[in-house]
Amino acid sequence: MKEKAKKKDEQAVPQLNENGVDRAQESTETSVAEATAKPETTKEEMIHLIVFKLGSEEYGIKIEQVKEVTVTPSVTRMPRTPDFIKGVANIRGDIIAIMNLEERFGIRPAPVSDDFNPNITYTLVIEAREYSIGVIVREVPQSLNLSMTKIDKTPSFLQDINIHENYIEGIAKVNNRLIIVLDMYKILTQDEIRALHNN
Amino acid sequence: MKSREQEYKEIFIAEALEYFDALNRLISELEKRPQDDKVLAEIFRMLHNLKANAKAIGYLQISDVSHKLETAFGLIRNKELSFSDEVVGVLFDGIDLLGELIKNIDSEQQIEPDPILIRNLDIIVDSLSDSTVELAKVQKFSSSRNLTLSDLIYIQVKKLDHLMNLVGELIIDRDRILSLSRELDNDELKMVSSHLYRITEDLQYSVMDARLVSIGTLFNKFPRVVRDIATAEKKEVDLELSGQDIQIDRNILQIMTDSLLHLVRNAITHGLEKPEQRSKAGKPKVGQLELSARSDRESVVISLTDDGKGIDLNQVRKAAVAQQLVPADVADGLPDTEVFSFLFEPGFSLAKEVTEYSGRGVGLDVVKNAIDSIGGRIRIDSKKGKGTTFTLQLPTSIAVKGALLFEIDSIFYAIPLIHTDLVVALDKDELHEVGDVLVADIKGETVTVVYLDELLNIPESAMRLGDKTKLKGQVQNIIIVSYNNRKLGLIVDKLYRQQDIVVKPLSKPLDSIDIYGGVTLLGTGKVCLVLDVPAITKYFISRR
Repeated sequence: MKEKAKKKDEQAVPQLNENGVDRAQESTETSVAEATAKPETTKEEMIHLIVFKLGSEEYGIKIEQVKEVTVTPSVTRMPRTPDFIKGVANIRGDIIAIMNLEERFGIRPAPVSDDFNPNITYTLVIEAREYSIGVIVREVPQSLNLSMTKIDKTPSFLQDINIHENYIEGIAKVNNRLIIVLDMYKILTQDEIRALHNN
Repeated sequence: MKSREQEYKEIFIAEALEYFDALNRLISELEKRPQDDKVLAEIFRMLHNLKANAKAIGYLQISDVSHKLETAFGLIRNKELSFSDEVVGVLFDGIDLLGELIKNIDSEQQIEPDPILIRNLDIIVDSLSDSTVELAKVQKFSSSRNLTLSDLIYIQVKKLDHLMNLVGELIIDRDRILSLSRELDNDELKMVSSHLYRITEDLQYSVMDARLVSIGTLFNKFPRVVRDIATAEKKEVDLELSGQDIQIDRNILQIMTDSLLHLVRNAITHGLEKPEQRSKAGKPKVGQLELSARSDRESVVISLTDDGKGIDLNQVRKAAVAQQLVPADVADGLPDTEVFSFLFEPGFSLAKEVTEYSGRGVGLDVVKNAIDSIGGRIRIDSKKGKGTTFTLQLPTSIAVKGALLFEIDSIFYAIPLIHTDLVVALDKDELHEVGDVLVADIKGETVTVVYLDELLNIPESAMRLGDKTKLKGQVQNIIIVSYNNRKLGLIVDKLYRQQDIVVKPLSKPLDSIDIYGGVTLLGTGKVCLVLDVPAITKYFISRR
C-alpha cells in the first residue's frame, strides 16, 4: 500500500512537470507573439498559476502560494471538525489540515470519467501567511504562465455574487478557457476560524 | 551528577567574575570621568551585590573586601572622599585583590589578602580627608595578567525552546526509523537505529535538564509577598517552605507563577482568619501557611496548605444552585469532590451567599486554565474550620509526555497519563443505562462512562450516550480519566500500550478545535490525535 503510493508519487511528479512545461511553453509562445506584435510592451508582467479543477470549472492559484503538489497521503480523519476538513496528514514531517474546497464552496463534484482512478487524488500544499493547508483535487494540477493582462481583476459579475467573492482575485481568459483565480491567503478568514471553533 | 552545592558555587564564581570584569571596565571609565554619577552608582551596585552573594555562600574574605570597597565608593559618591590619584591607586589594587580572591576560590592554597593593601583601604575609608596618614606602597598583584573567559554562559530561554522543539522532531523521526528497521529486518540498520535511539534519548534528557530550574527560585519570593499581604490584611502568617530543591521546567514554573501567587493571596485574604477570630476558635494566633514541592514519578506536586477556616461545602452547593450550575436536588447528592469542582467554574463566587466568604473562589478558573494549558491537575481538599489544601500536579517537562495509546473507529488516539487514573476491562453487563448516560461501579465508586466512538463520530443530533446497544463486543476497555475532581470512564475500541510521545500543537486553522491537545506521529508514520481531557469532559457535559 505504502509502496504503491510512493511509486505513484514518483510518476505523478514527472507527469506534472511535462504538463507544466508544455503549458508554460504554449502560453509563453502566445505572449511572445503578442509582444512582437506590440514591441512597446516587451516587459509584460507575467503570472504563473497552478491550475486545477473543482467541479467542472478551472481554478488557479499563484505559484508563490503553492508549496508543493503531491499524491494525497493517508489522511487521518478528525472527528468534530467541519465536513470540508478531511482530516490531517503527515507531509514531510509537518502535520497539516487537508480540506476539500468543493465541499467548502458547495461546488457540485463533476461526474468521474472511467479512466480516473477514484482512489488517487492530489494535494496542493498551500502556504498561507501563518500556516500551511492541503487542498484536495481530483486531477493532476497543471502549471500555466500567462500575462497579467489576461486577468480581469474586477469582473462586474463579482458584484452579483455575495459569498466567497473574497477569495476570487480575478478571472483569467486563455484560449477559450476560463480560470477563476483564487487568493488563498484569504481562504480562511477570521469568520471561518470562528465557525470552526463553534462547530 | 554534580551536587547542588557545587553548582551554586560555579554559578557564584561565574557571576563574580562577570562583576569583576565589569568593575574593571567601570573604574577605568570613572578614572577618565570622575564626575559621572551613573558609573559610580553602577560600581556601587555591583560591589553591593557581590558582597551580599559572597556572604550568602560563605566567602567572607570576598564579602569583606567588597564591603570596604563599597564603603570607599560610597564616600566618593557622597563627595566625602575625593577621587584623587592616590585613592584611585588603592581602589584599583582593591579590585585586583577581589579578582584574585574569586579566581582562587577553587584552588587548594588559599591566598591571604595583602595586609598592607587592606590597611590602605581602611585608611582611605576611615581617615576621610586626613592626609597625614601615609598610604603604604603595595606590591602589585598581577603585573602579568591572564585573560580568562567564564565557564558559564547565559542563554535565552527562547533558544532552549527551539532546541527542545528540534529534539521533539528528532524523536519522532527516530521512532519512525526504528520501526522501519524492524520491518526491513536488516541487522546493520537495526544496530545503527538502536544506537540512534540511545543518543537521541541522551540528547533529550540533556536538553530537558538544561531547562530545569529549582522551584526555590519561585518559592523564595514568597516570604516577602506573604509578609506584605498579611500586613495589608492585618493578619499574622507563618510561611513554611519545603522542597525548594525540586527541579522543574523553567517554562512550566513561569506559567505557574501567577497562579501560585493567586492561590497564596487567596489563602491569606480568604482562608486564614484574623488573630482574634483564631483565638476564639481555639487556634494559635499565627496562621500557618505551608508551601511545599515534591517529586512524584514523572511529575512535580506543589501543595499549598493553610489552617484557616476552610471551605463550607453547603455554601458552595447553595451558590452552585443559585448560579444555576446544577439543579437543587442533584446538588444535595453530589459527592464532596464534585462540589469542590464548582469553585473552578468561570465567574463562580460565594459572594452572593455570605459576605465573609466573598471572593473565595474568584479567579480560580484562571488558575485552572493555566494548569490545563500545561497538562497539569489541581485538587482541593478542605475541612470547614480546619483549613484548605490546594494540590497542583505538574509535568516536569512540556514537550515529552507519557501517554496511553488506543484506537477508535480505526483512528489512533492518545491521552496523557497525567489525566488517566486507571484502566479497566468490564463486561457489558456491568454497565448500566441510567437516565441518558451509562454508569459503572468501579472499585466501589459510581462512575459515568461514555462510549468515545458515539461521542466523537455520531452526528450530534443522533447521539445517544445512554444506549448500551451501541457498544461493540462483550468486554469493554475503559480508561478512567479525571478532571476537575470528576471521574469519567472512556470506552475505547482497542487499547494499546503506554508510550512517551512528543505532542505537536495543531497548526492553524485546526488549533481552535479544543478537544484535541495536539497530534503526534507514531513510529509507523501514522498520525495519532492527542485528546485533551479537560475539553473532552466539557464536551461530554455539554452533550449530556
